[in-house]
Amino acid sequence: MLSLSGGLFLGWALGSNDAANVFGTAVASRIISFRTASILCGLAVVTGAVLQGQEGIHTLSGLTEQTIRTLVITSLCAALTVTLMTILSLPISTSQAIVGAITGIGLATGYVNFSGLEKVVICWIATPVGAMFISFIVYKILGIIFTKIPMSMLTRDKILWSMLLVVGVYGSYALGANNVANATGIFSGQFKGITDTDLALFGGLAIAVGVITYSRRVMMTVGGGIMRLDAFAALVAVTSMAITVHIFAVVGVPVSTSQGIVGAIIGVGIIRGVHTIQYRMLRNIGVGWFLTPTISLILSAAGYAIFCRPIAG
Amino acid sequence: MFFENKQKKVESQITQYCDSVINCLDEFRNTFTEYCKSSDRAQLASDYTRVHKAESIADDIRREIEVMMYTKALFPESRGDILGLLETMDKVPNEAESAVRMILNQHIEIPEQFRPDILQLVDICHRCVSAMIESVNKLFSEFTNATVAIGKIDELESEADFIEENLIENIFASNIEGWRKLLLRDLVKRIAGVSDRAENVGDRVRIIVAKRRI
Repeated sequence: MLSLSGGLFLGWALGSNDAANVFGTAVASRIISFRTASILCGLAVVTGAVLQGQEGIHTLSGLTEQTIRTLVITSLCAALTVTLMTILSLPISTSQAIVGAITGIGLATGYVNFSGLEKVVICWIATPVGAMFISFIVYKILGIIFTKIPMSMLTRDKILWSMLLVVGVYGSYALGANNVANATGIFSGQFKGITDTDLALFGGLAIAVGVITYSRRVMMTVGGGIMRLDAFAALVAVTSMAITVHIFAVVGVPVSTSQGIVGAIIGVGIIRGVHTIQYRMLRNIGVGWFLTPTISLILSAAGYAIFCRPIAG
Repeated sequence: MFFENKQKKVESQITQYCDSVINCLDEFRNTFTEYCKSSDRAQLASDYTRVHKAESIADDIRREIEVMMYTKALFPESRGDILGLLETMDKVPNEAESAVRMILNQHIEIPEQFRPDILQLVDICHRCVSAMIESVNKLFSEFTNATVAIGKIDELESEADFIEENLIENIFASNIEGWRKLLLRDLVKRIAGVSDRAENVGDRVRIIVAKRRI
């Protein structure tokens, strides 16, 4: 069970980084308080993880063959990478961190399931692009609703507030369903008496703790860093991200909510005019996305070389 | 349930505030109409009291709304927008009151030949403020249509500017004493200032709508 602590650490790191993608826009725009957002997000994450998290756990556990020792190295290296990026306030992909770490171990041991890896990498590209296109559609549909129905400025606020809450909870559910695999998926089948549902529950709880204790910093980056979002744009971005991530949860590929939300925000930015996008922040996020799998890959390969080789030999 | 009652209360208070502003402008127009008719200073003093009272009532309602908005939740962005709007609106009755006070304190007599134009200017300012109130009320009923009335404000403000310029030119072309010319010019500018303030409110409304444009 102690071996699982690496996965729980990763779950905590994931929660501290990825909750921003769901409630960051609303919290940074001061539409919802951080306290309300983090509690709602935590509850929905655990629910999503337990009800729909097993499919992703199954996919991730098949990427490479692991021993308990390599599992601990994998999860710790991924968690360290995510924590480092969280300290830098960069919304990065936990999926990239864990897959980078798994691949690092795989390269070191000489076994990598490249076909599974290919599916995951394609989804990394498909996530922001898909979220961007979904945001175009969501923007148009919500735009028609909010333009055609006559309402007071304050009624509009109230509707947006309520919808942001609902969509935030849905996004958190999708986050739990999709991303719990990143936290505890690699431990699938490794412990007697611990089922995938148990792993989903542990992972979900770890993510929830991360959300509640340490997610505020990245929330502020996501909410205000890429472009200044009003409540309507925030609603479109979170809805698009949640739909995208939920689709991937159903398919069984753990993808990045960070990539989803950034893709969706860019989509909104394109509709509103590209001048609204802050390219410097976008570049930093892009660098973060490149560095995340690279750092975790190097760390895990190095970790394997240090802690596993002598014993294996 | 979130800020349901709060929203209704804010909306009803703002409607009340709009009513008080238009009431002040009614008193402003009546005062000028009466003064141009009779030049009775006692009557003017009593009319000024009514204008002042109407302006004070508007001020009280505005302060109540401001306090209410800080003590309970609304969208921070909307709160800022509404507070800014109220601050800008507040200048309209202030300007109207100060125009009436100017006649009273500075003992300004309006020569017969300028009275029709001044009354016309006052009337246009009144209509301009009515259009302003219409646009503000729209924000709290169907806000996307709030900009329709802004076109009317702009139009009336331009009309007021035109009359103001003509009046000033005519004042200086007339045979009255120089010091009276200066007083009348200041009075005309002060009256036209009402439509300028209304136009500022229209600009605020325009920004509020633009910020929420989809």
